[in-house]
Amino acid sequence: MRGRGLWLDLLAAALFVGLLAALPGILRGAYGQASVSYLALGIRAVGLAVLALSWDLVARTGQLSLAHAAFYGAGGYAAAVLLRLTDAPVWAGIPLAGVVAAALALALGGATLRLYGIYFAIGTLAFAEVLKTVVKSTPFAITGGSVGTNLPPLFRPQFVAGAMERWEVAYLRNQGYFLVYLGLLALAILVSVLVQRSRLRHAFTAVRTNEWVAGVMGVNPARTKLVAFVISSAIVGMLGAIEAHRFGSVNPDATFSVHTTVLALVTPIFGGLYTTVGPILAALVLSGVEETLKRTLSDGYLVAYGVVLVVSILFMPRGVMGLFRSLARRRRARAAVGAVAPGGRDA
Amino acid sequence: MDLSLLPQALVSGVLASGLYALVAVGLALAIGVIGIVNFAHGEFFMIGAFLAYQLFVSFGFDPLLSILFVAPVLFLIGAALYASTIRFVLKAPELNQMLLTFGIGIILQNLALMIWGGDPRSIGGVPYRAVGLQVGGVSVGLVPLGSFVISVLLVGGLYLVLARTPLGRAMRAVAQNRVGAGLVGLEVNRVYLVAFGLSALLAGIGGVMIAVIQSPTPTVGLAFTLKAFAIVVLAGLGNIRGIVSAAMVVALAESLVATMVPNGDALRNAVFFAIILGTLVYRSWRRA
Repeated sequence: MRGRGLWLDLLAAALFVGLLAALPGILRGAYGQASVSYLALGIRAVGLAVLALSWDLVARTGQLSLAHAAFYGAGGYAAAVLLRLTDAPVWAGIPLAGVVAAALALALGGATLRLYGIYFAIGTLAFAEVLKTVVKSTPFAITGGSVGTNLPPLFRPQFVAGAMERWEVAYLRNQGYFLVYLGLLALAILVSVLVQRSRLRHAFTAVRTNEWVAGVMGVNPARTKLVAFVISSAIVGMLGAIEAHRFGSVNPDATFSVHTTVLALVTPIFGGLYTTVGPILAALVLSGVEETLKRTLSDGYLVAYGVVLVVSILFMPRGVMGLFRSLARRRRARAAVGAVAPGGRDA
Repeated sequence: MDLSLLPQALVSGVLASGLYALVAVGLALAIGVIGIVNFAHGEFFMIGAFLAYQLFVSFGFDPLLSILFVAPVLFLIGAALYASTIRFVLKAPELNQMLLTFGIGIILQNLALMIWGGDPRSIGGVPYRAVGLQVGGVSVGLVPLGSFVISVLLVGGLYLVLARTPLGRAMRAVAQNRVGAGLVGLEVNRVYLVAFGLSALLAGIGGVMIAVIQSPTPTVGLAFTLKAFAIVVLAGLGNIRGIVSAAMVVALAESLVATMVPNGDALRNAVFFAIILGTLVYRSWRRA
């Protein structure tokens, strides 16, 4: 049963990713020039989904990570510094970002994950805030200090006079980024599904529900938490590098902004923790909401995320997915009542 | 390293420790009595600072006077937050509790950003702001000295309340055993409400002082949440007695690094992380 579930999930994921991969072409055919900004919104949504899925991975072990901004920033900076100091190929920064973020997570997690969950949350928050100030005070020659530094774009489509229109350059660039983001989303979904459909799921759930019992059952809580934390951070690190290339620059305040952490945790909680579909669904909804809010409230639009977080925790701790599930259960219960009592109203 | 700066660094550190203890003791109260790790604690501090600023700008209130106004307002804010949100997650998983307070923190910080913007605000016109004493080459500002004295009085007062009054005895009882306290007739929920209100009140008064000492922005709350956590973690989660000495250690470490280490001012925040991480690693190895 477990095997079939895994293959069904993977098939569904492949279909979903395949459908999204066709999206740029469809949008271009349907909307022409407007597809450029639609694609930009799509990039935002896919990036948010990656962030949310990776955060959910750590949450499945019952840990609150407040350091996603740190790994995101570390990834962006890893790529930026590599390209600033060496003549490495442009794409080399992305895998390096994953490695650097994973190494940082290994060090931080190794020191704090053996302890009670509260300490981990506090430690990650402190780590994120401090990494920002440390990067600010690094020498200008290496990181650009408090000013930051520039990165080359991953895609440089050339305008060919006569063969294409002006806006198609922007379209090609956005299409390229969209597909790269989508590749990372595919990886994040794969990890999420594999964890959900393998023995790891039981290990994660056991550690989340009761660490001591998990230990008695032969699950090593510290190691399980560390595995989730390191994988999650590696994915976020790569996302940070790709985004840094897309934005064209990194600087301490923006790249290590606590906003990233807020987005990373609000999205899966709103969608439904410990699921794969929930975070993706929430990313689609929230990226649309965010775009609207950013235009109406410039400073402090994050207030909406705070409200979503508080309301979700108080009224639907299992997120939108949880609402769906309890709705389905109620309907099934009603159907079951009908089945036991034949010859009711209709007969 | 310039050793002649040492006396000044020590004095600054000791003076700062009062304010730190005041903010951290409120956080320790929330953790120790209610068992809620409040990631929004620094935001109470921030609200106190900006209320004092606004009272000064709008009505010319002296910050010392506005303490009398800020304290009850912050108590009410804390109590209202407890009654409307915290109360419902007391038995929820720890992850949910932390996420809830983090969410409250996001809301408060961004509301402040919407109202006051991101620029630093200062209470510049207070006559005593620039007054200071010179004692043998060490300068002591009147404002840091005053904030130290007020903090010592408040923290001392809290300890007296906890040790000597029926309310304090109720808080200690609830902290030790929630069910037992309920069984002997204490209204646990009301004790929690008062404890959370007090926690916010203490942080808020600290905020009034920072508005005179520095020029804070609405993000000052997060910075002080972190400082308070460093102290609380060093003292041991929920330990209220150890806060004063832990605050002293943290404030002295910060002051020494900032003045004695070259380029140390940029490393102020790193001190807090080092203390948090160092304590965690030490605990982790001792437990293993």
